[in-house]
Amino acid sequence: MKIKLTVNGLSYERECAEHRTLLRFIREDLGLTGTKEGCGMGECGACTVILNGRAVNSCMVLAVEADGAVIHTIEGEANGPALSDIQQAFENNHAVQCGFCTPGMVMSVKELLAQNPKPDATQIKEAVEGNFCRCTGYTQIVEAVMDLTGRPEEKGELKHV
Amino acid sequence: MLYEFRYLAPRTAGELVRILDERKNDGKILAGGTDLIPNIRNGLMKPRFVIDVKKTPEASTLAYSDADGLVIGTAITINDILRSATAQDKYPVLCVCAHELASHQIRNRATVTGNVVNASPCSDMAPALLCLDAKALLRSKDGQRSMPFKEFFTDVKKTVLKPGEYLERIEVPAESRGARGSYLKLKRIAGHDLGIVGVLMVRRGDDIRFAVSSAAPTPVLVDTVTSKDGPEEAVRKVLGAVSPISDVRGTKEYREHMIGVYVRRLLSEVK
Repeated sequence: MKIKLTVNGLSYERECAEHRTLLRFIREDLGLTGTKEGCGMGECGACTVILNGRAVNSCMVLAVEADGAVIHTIEGEANGPALSDIQQAFENNHAVQCGFCTPGMVMSVKELLAQNPKPDATQIKEAVEGNFCRCTGYTQIVEAVMDLTGRPEEKGELKHV
Repeated sequence: MLYEFRYLAPRTAGELVRILDERKNDGKILAGGTDLIPNIRNGLMKPRFVIDVKKTPEASTLAYSDADGLVIGTAITINDILRSATAQDKYPVLCVCAHELASHQIRNRATVTGNVVNASPCSDMAPALLCLDAKALLRSKDGQRSMPFKEFFTDVKKTVLKPGEYLERIEVPAESRGARGSYLKLKRIAGHDLGIVGVLMVRRGDDIRFAVSSAAPTPVLVDTVTSKDGPEEAVRKVLGAVSPISDVRGTKEYREHMIGVYVRRLLSEVK
């Protein structure tokens, strides 16, 4: 089936097998390998992309379902060597360790900030609850987001929810 | 990697029921895909045809009217409910259950209709729909029928849906507007996890309802508790309606104990 979609502002038209997941399509057909496959069944969030404004697990979406969609992946973040604000905040706060979860984390945070420009710690944790970081860098990830958006009143170490 | 199947996305309800009839034996319905696609990947289901029910005009309906109540179409996701001012305002119970379901990304894809059609005992939306007297509107090429959710679930992952039939929409009646409630779901972690047991309590005036997930072959509605019952009588009635098993997530005894804890806690919380 022929599908047409927009990824990071570029239009693509491709012949695509009907059983192909959006994740495979993005990685193998478009060559955008920044999006990762972790579990392949919606548990880990490594494959998170933004589909029509919403963070989704691309391993559980068929590419043909996304015909006509607007998609954003990690490759759409940096502008040449200049990191996006979210990426820069992750780097500044050491919110990246092995980096495997990071593309998905950044996508989840991106959707959160589009909806809610000043989230509190609970809202940030809820937004990334479907993104596993097996280096367990969650505190730094929450701090990175708060660093970017401005912490409310709480200073110092974050309270665990 | 998924094995090969054909993808069909009918654009009208008429075309959809015709395809469902033709593909009774080798087709599977795709809504949010958050259960179907992992099941295909894991080899648990091997449909030759995957039939997308999100592309008809009616699928995206999420509308309230005094006549029909809240109508929820096949494409409406869990997060569509959470983002709906109407749902938040008129049916807060739908939102407390929706909020407990899986992770944010899954809530962006998973549909309300899919959550009940899967008929998992741990369905999070079923308790709300049971307590709110919601109805399922089923459609096949032979016509439509309406079924209260109380009669919809028949066994583990089984419903009254016949081959070739689909859940076209859910109606939550106007009479259930304003019902308040709280859903306590026991999980290993605060985030994304399947429930070990879940208890919803809904209060509408003097009327009290409980619904329990992960404690019987189907989600269970308990409508025998009255406002005159003390906490121990309420616990006795709820436990009398369920039949939890011991499995990898918890023992029968643990589940029964926690149902008791939750019923007592809810009775003091939901005023």
